[in-house]
Amino acid sequence: MKPLNKQLLSTRRRNLLKAGGYGLTLGAAQMSGIAPVFSSAGATNRQTGKGKIFVVLELSGGNDGLNTLVPYGDDAYYRHRPELSIRENKLRKIDDHFGFNPDMAGFERLYKDGKMAVFHGCGYDQPSFSHFTSIAYWHTAAPNSGEQLGWVGRLADAIDPAATPGFIVNIDEAQSLAVVARDHVPVVFDDPRQFGRKGLFQERALLDQSRQPSDNMNDAQRYLMDISRSAQQASEQVREACAAYRTPVDYGIVSLDLRNVAALIDAGMDTRLYYTSFRHNAFDTHVQQPNLHQRLLTYFSDAVSGFFQDMERIGRADDVVMLVFSEFGRRVAENTNLGTDHGTANHMYMIGNPVRGGHYGELPSLTELDEGENLIHTTDFRRVYATAIEGWLGHTDTEAMLRGKFEPFPVFG
Amino acid sequence: MTPSRIRILKFWPALLLAIALPASAASPAAGPSDWTGDLGPIAESDWNRSRAAHLLERAGFGGTPEEIDKLAAMTADEAVRHLVFHKEIPNPLPDFDHSGVHDPGIEPFPPSRPAATNLARDTGEAIGVKVKPSGNRRMQPVVDRFFYWLRASMLESHRVAYWWGQRMLTTNRPLEEKMALFWHGHFATSEDKVRDYRKLLGQNELFREQGTGNFRDLLISVSQDPAMLAFLDAGVNVKGSPNENFAREIMELFTMGVGHYSENDIREAARAFTGWNYVDLTFVVKNDEHDETQKTVLGQTGRFDGVEVIDIILDQPVTADYIAGKIYRYFVREDLSAQLQTRLGDVLRDADYDLAPFLYTMFMSRDFYSPASVATRIKPPVELVVSTYKKMGLTELPGVPDFNIATETLGQRLLFPPTVAGWAQGKSWITPGLLLARGNFVYDTVFPDINFIPPDRHPTDNYQISTVADRLAEGADVSTATQPPGRDMTSMSNSMVDRDEAFNTRLGSYRGWRMAIEKVKPIPRTTAQVDLTSMIQSAGCATAQQAVDYLAGRFLSVPLDEGTRGALTAYLENEIGGSDLAPAETYLEEPLRATLHLILSLPDYQLG
Repeated sequence: MKPLNKQLLSTRRRNLLKAGGYGLTLGAAQMSGIAPVFSSAGATNRQTGKGKIFVVLELSGGNDGLNTLVPYGDDAYYRHRPELSIRENKLRKIDDHFGFNPDMAGFERLYKDGKMAVFHGCGYDQPSFSHFTSIAYWHTAAPNSGEQLGWVGRLADAIDPAATPGFIVNIDEAQSLAVVARDHVPVVFDDPRQFGRKGLFQERALLDQSRQPSDNMNDAQRYLMDISRSAQQASEQVREACAAYRTPVDYGIVSLDLRNVAALIDAGMDTRLYYTSFRHNAFDTHVQQPNLHQRLLTYFSDAVSGFFQDMERIGRADDVVMLVFSEFGRRVAENTNLGTDHGTANHMYMIGNPVRGGHYGELPSLTELDEGENLIHTTDFRRVYATAIEGWLGHTDTEAMLRGKFEPFPVFG
Repeated sequence: MTPSRIRILKFWPALLLAIALPASAASPAAGPSDWTGDLGPIAESDWNRSRAAHLLERAGFGGTPEEIDKLAAMTADEAVRHLVFHKEIPNPLPDFDHSGVHDPGIEPFPPSRPAATNLARDTGEAIGVKVKPSGNRRMQPVVDRFFYWLRASMLESHRVAYWWGQRMLTTNRPLEEKMALFWHGHFATSEDKVRDYRKLLGQNELFREQGTGNFRDLLISVSQDPAMLAFLDAGVNVKGSPNENFAREIMELFTMGVGHYSENDIREAARAFTGWNYVDLTFVVKNDEHDETQKTVLGQTGRFDGVEVIDIILDQPVTADYIAGKIYRYFVREDLSAQLQTRLGDVLRDADYDLAPFLYTMFMSRDFYSPASVATRIKPPVELVVSTYKKMGLTELPGVPDFNIATETLGQRLLFPPTVAGWAQGKSWITPGLLLARGNFVYDTVFPDINFIPPDRHPTDNYQISTVADRLAEGADVSTATQPPGRDMTSMSNSMVDRDEAFNTRLGSYRGWRMAIEKVKPIPRTTAQVDLTSMIQSAGCATAQQAVDYLAGRFLSVPLDEGTRGALTAYLENEIGGSDLAPAETYLEEPLRATLHLILSLPDYQLG
């Protein structure tokens, strides 16, 4: 796992790369006669920019759901975890059965304000205990199928057949499988300050050109041309939006890129689908879990609640819904190293003003476990995806998209 | 704006249209398409300079024209043997120069800051430092010391990465370093968790020594390597409470791949590895922690130990297929049919897991020189950086830009793989952001940043350290000095930093940094010693067109299309004020550097 300071805010060195430091991108493009496709869209598409926005946040590494939203009303929890369980009086109780991990004040507030749906027992048949396999299942929404496209990518292809540039934004070091689409080319970047081409004034016209893929190019070359065009179209707007963004809201120690998502939403980008993650398998807490996990949850809760405070502040809280998931939960019983091993079913969270808060799905039993002493899932995770697709984004053909019939929960409307 | 420049700018749209027309042909190194999938060797008559360049691109870090010429002058068999069977080639490179940051009191280093302070609270001492008997912040020296080693080891690991990068650049055995890099991604181990650069250095040397040897030997060495043992929690895998982390990864990532073993196999194998541990830099088996009872792994039953389980795994046909396929995907191409993978597995099996004969077959094969394989591979960041320097003719890894930051920005920092699965290869190296960053790396090399701040002196990754230092110097008390910047709505994490009175972590963080940079030797910050003028002149280029052609040929693996070639030439002519280079000799360097930046910013440059 990467230390958290790697993900922290800024560096002085990077601060030197301020927006605008990349020079006259727009000017040169206009001079050379190339339509600055993306940047001109800002004004005319302000309306579409006001559409419904869906943010997916991934907690990588397999978050321990049982110590995130603790079922303190179930004695079995305390029996399974003599060392790791969190005492009732330390929890942030949300009802007579559940309480959040002690420092998750933001989550407690979101739940109590009725803005958070908690889905219980989410998982799938024949669960994989491999991070990499399981996360691929969640990314494709197609376990054990070899599907090449991500579910967010397929969603974009379905709801926006015109493949609007910048419809999907994925903030990460590498593109997530979840956003891989047939028609859309997601805008993927890490540090927005570095999302731009350095180059001298007289180099600009050549640097900013985009070449079309041609038949005699190999597959890798064509891919590079597509990516180059996407970069060219989006980088200026992203960089300037993030650099110009000012907010009094504290997103905590690790913003999970949600501050940048807020900046792009505030700038009226055409983006409808955002994908970010708490990176680098952070939640893989095999040993010495308590302090580490509590810290991770605090950062996570701070960033998410900061984001929604910020959405309220800029008047977009009714337009944004966030989905939070992890590739699996952890073993019900603690291990002997003050940690937990890979498990199965877990909570998912859907957050936002439009959400009808509360508990959804059947609670998994803490006493009737599978042969590996894991929770038996009660909710196929694709039902939650279907809830977002149909309930929030209003697209009804989820069956084709999710390769099967998954009944949505009545979270919206 | 000068009239000529305006004319050029107006002219460019026409050139850009031309670029869209079909122009680029396949790389000259590519053989006929029916070579694809053919593992038989190429004929000596098929050997030529383009194929030598392709071989050096893949089996090493690309080559200068001189290096390519040398390889092209050999026969194909000699050239491949020269790269694969390299242990006899003299290679006088210095060992890593330790700064001397470690001392025995640091061992065993606690797994976390809370573990360190808990130990200090319980025993009155931790990491070789005693708790103050009374007074304010009694455990502060322990926390300072904790951060000292964290920072010192991290900074020293940056120097190890520099040392390794320098080896890649100047080695006489490029495949030795390239295989070490491959294994570093395969047996991915990170300083982030290991927190001991010495262990990472030892592992790196292991990859170099055994990387083209026998896979069984390598696998056993890695399984007993302190860096790996620390990384995958071997220390807590003991009789009665096995920890599955290592057993899972050895099957899933190191040998067989997902789907070829059961969860029960993992649990059983974990018991066989119980007691495998390390003391400082030495592998030890703690017999009293080893579970000697019967285990059933992959259908076999016995009182196995770790080596016996490794042998059971190596007996699975899927293991050779998996390893052969992974090497092939790394060095040749991503798309690999199941059938070809099995044939590659046969080659490795027939060699009893000896890697060198397998590599020889792979690099000699017609498939390796087929159109599907040539110039289709996206260069991983470290290779992009090192091969760019190599092709620039550099013999010293530049200090500006910083090698570690440059490669990390592109997505691959040596000794810091993102997860135990290493780095995803191929297209995942490229996103819109990363593609631009690749061009920016070239810009930073040919036009070095005059505002560069060395990250091994200045805490660029943690600005709070600087803030704390500034406030302390102004006479602020510790609580004030370490307070986070005020915000209207403070988060939980920012409000609870200093709630333990026995120590202050932000103070410790600052002091640890200061103590670390007092000890860790600085990285020399020489800029790239690029001399494109001499390069172009000694190549005999007389015109701007020839200079563009030379640079493109020297750096790119695919030919320039006519439109881009024309635009680049027009650019250079405009900058030097004519088409002849000779009159511009005294001011040629800047225009050439910008031209090179343009060429290396083409998406095509990412292919090798």
